[in-house]
Amino acid sequence: MPLSVRSLLRFQESGLLLVILALGSLLTAFSGTVRTPLFERTPEGGRQRVFVTNAAGERVPAFVEKNKFLNAQNLAQLAKDTSFTAIMAVGMALVIIAGGIDLSVGSIYALASVLGALVLNHYGADGPGAASPGLGILLGVAACLGTAALCGLLNGGLIVALRVHPFIITLGAMAILRGIAFVATKGQSVGSFPAAFRDFVRREAGDGLSFVPLLAMVLVTAAGWIFLARLAAGRRVYAVGGNELAARFSGIRVERVKLGVYLLSGLAAGVAALLSLGYYGAATSGDGQGYELNVIAAAVVGGASLSGGRGSALGVVLGALIIQMIASGIVILGIDQNYSQIIIGTVVIAAVVLDNLNTWLARRRLAARAG
Amino acid sequence: MPFLEFHGLTKRFPGVLALDGVSFGVERGTCHALIGENGAGKSTLGKILAGVQTADGGTIRLDGREIRPASPLDARGLGIAMVHQELAFCPNLSIAENLCLGDLPRRAGFVDRAALRARARAMLAAIGADLDPDALIGTLSTGREQLVQIAAAVGTGARVLVMDEPSSSLSAAETRELFRLVRDLKARGLTLLYVSHRLEELFALCDRLTVLRDGRHVATEPIAATNPPRVVTQMIGRELAPAAPLHLTRPLGPECLRVEGLASPGKFAGIDLTVRAGEIVGIAGIVGAGRSEVAQAVFGLDPAATGRVAVRGRSVPLGSRDAALAAGIGLVPEDRKRQGLVLGLSCRENISLASLPALTRAGWVRRAAEQTLARRYTERLRVRMPSLEAVTAGLSGGNQQKIALAKWLARGCDVLLIDEPTRGVDVGAKAEIYRLLDELACEGKALLVVSSELPELIGLCRRIVVMREGRLAGELDRAAFSEAALMRLMAGVAAA
Repeated sequence: MPLSVRSLLRFQESGLLLVILALGSLLTAFSGTVRTPLFERTPEGGRQRVFVTNAAGERVPAFVEKNKFLNAQNLAQLAKDTSFTAIMAVGMALVIIAGGIDLSVGSIYALASVLGALVLNHYGADGPGAASPGLGILLGVAACLGTAALCGLLNGGLIVALRVHPFIITLGAMAILRGIAFVATKGQSVGSFPAAFRDFVRREAGDGLSFVPLLAMVLVTAAGWIFLARLAAGRRVYAVGGNELAARFSGIRVERVKLGVYLLSGLAAGVAALLSLGYYGAATSGDGQGYELNVIAAAVVGGASLSGGRGSALGVVLGALIIQMIASGIVILGIDQNYSQIIIGTVVIAAVVLDNLNTWLARRRLAARAG
Repeated sequence: MPFLEFHGLTKRFPGVLALDGVSFGVERGTCHALIGENGAGKSTLGKILAGVQTADGGTIRLDGREIRPASPLDARGLGIAMVHQELAFCPNLSIAENLCLGDLPRRAGFVDRAALRARARAMLAAIGADLDPDALIGTLSTGREQLVQIAAAVGTGARVLVMDEPSSSLSAAETRELFRLVRDLKARGLTLLYVSHRLEELFALCDRLTVLRDGRHVATEPIAATNPPRVVTQMIGRELAPAAPLHLTRPLGPECLRVEGLASPGKFAGIDLTVRAGEIVGIAGIVGAGRSEVAQAVFGLDPAATGRVAVRGRSVPLGSRDAALAAGIGLVPEDRKRQGLVLGLSCRENISLASLPALTRAGWVRRAAEQTLARRYTERLRVRMPSLEAVTAGLSGGNQQKIALAKWLARGCDVLLIDEPTRGVDVGAKAEIYRLLDELACEGKALLVVSSELPELIGLCRRIVVMREGRLAGELDRAAFSEAALMRLMAGVAAA
């Protein structure tokens, strides 16, 4: 039987899906129900409450019983929350598969947010550029994504040029970039953007489903998958992470590959920052504090190996979903919020141990079949 | 009854049955050879005995008692130790610390350095090894490190010593030293299980011999009752006719590779050589003579290199691997695991790794073309693998080497630098690799082969240049080939 990286990964992704299903079932079973008011659509397209007549003949507002976890609103919320981490995790996956690490994604996210926010604010309703919101949005998007990409490029450039371990460079960048964000905003929140920008990102489909972040996540995941599984550039990432020396001997420009993955990781943080600008309508230098840990956790739970050479885009997105499900499960099940960090930390370690066990079992099964 | 007895030993790995009901006995105080092609299961058997791996079936009896070593520590308790091919020590610690790692002498909780040194010195002296106990393992040559492994085994009271390819990366002098030690250990009553590819060595050293093929036991005979051709036939299951290379009968093409005054500070200097199309030129020399360094400099991996390298009369800028690649130079490095392959990637992905630009359209890897390419070369090189998608980590040494070669053939280089084409490769795969190199020369490629095995160079090459201490020591034409002549140049002694 073929024992290939690909078949193992497929196995692993189906394992992640199983975990997600199991978590979902558990949350559905134990979350209990919540009474929510019932709405109906008016002929004009608005929403109004539904009233019914009770046994006593009074007109009272109608309620429906909904499962606390398994209802459209909660799932939409979950999807939205997941998308920010997932987008950054796809970028992180590239870095980790190439054998590196990027601790600065949270700070890149913050700096890209506030610089984008400063531009958008300038062209906002209260700003001097209020007359041309279209240009403002364009410049704001460019500032946000450009900053993020540039930060990533700087990370990669320093790692390659100075030959210092990426942990050190990105640890430094983590502090420096957040510091710049703080200085640029003097620690103040920056808001008041052109309305069109916020409206676009917050567009809803049906009952409160913000589909723009979700769509962005799907697009980024697809792009990450294509990059890693189909493009020559992705193959080089696996080769460099799997054995840098052999990659060099094979004619791969290792430095360029490294530069590329940090650039893309930065860019992914920029995309997440852009979505958050639109979604929350403001940014501060304190945004995205601690995101790097969630993002690395998502990548690792999703099967990216910190020793490099192994992982997939779909895997890390599922990893992000698992982490988000646990975080929101803690809220839904009414567990004391103070325990959430402890639980998530435990899950990360357990996931990696399970993954090792899984790989080991798969090998054994294949061995048994061969015999 | 034999001292050590295997009965029906079975071990499965993903995709292969590494051992299939192997039974034979080893007499006390003998040196017992274990031979077979790569993947025949000989290393696996050694590892099971030493507790590195556990068997899936069968029994092992030591001195009449059934044993089941579950870990190397367990095996050591039973008096079984193994000398590995791979690094078995912490390179950042001293010889003494490594020797006593499991049981550091302590005084009041602190490591007793004097006692540590004394104990290590005693262990080294017991095998007649003259090494400084304070030297870091990382600074030792492979041969010296092996001595330390043997000292560790003997010092912990081993009765059975498994030696897995002990001579594969030793210089000639170190090998002689190893042989002396093996005979000495045998005289002291140790039982040795000696795993090797090198027939001459086994016939010089061992008392009895067991041949394995594809995980099955083929024969166990006294050395005196057999001969090398018979063993080779047993190993590969067919007769092996050593044909003279065909390329020697073909006319040579124009000069393809020219190296002039190539030098790199501290490594080598004054290297001039040429290789014509259709020619195989060998580079001989002892380990450390600078052979691999020259090959790597020609491939543009040495930023400090000076001199001139030209392909078909056109200069190739030094220190630029990309320029070397563009000029059609390929390098199959000596250490396939470290430099040659990305072990976590599949056979297909490794083969296409150096050819990605040609297989790519608008950034996308053309899957079908990649498959075809990988299949063509795995078939041509007769790579034995579960499938094209199997990760290369699971292949035997010979098949890994073929993949490393296939990578450069797939790229279609005109000039191939091949460093140790058959190191750690079994007889059958060796013959296939020689046939392949011959074919490549017949196709008009220029081949520069670096090797430590003189018979290999003598069999394969049209010319051999010899390096000594970073300089050219001489050049021999095929008519003048002999191991003695090459050895004299390598060692720098005048003809007797």
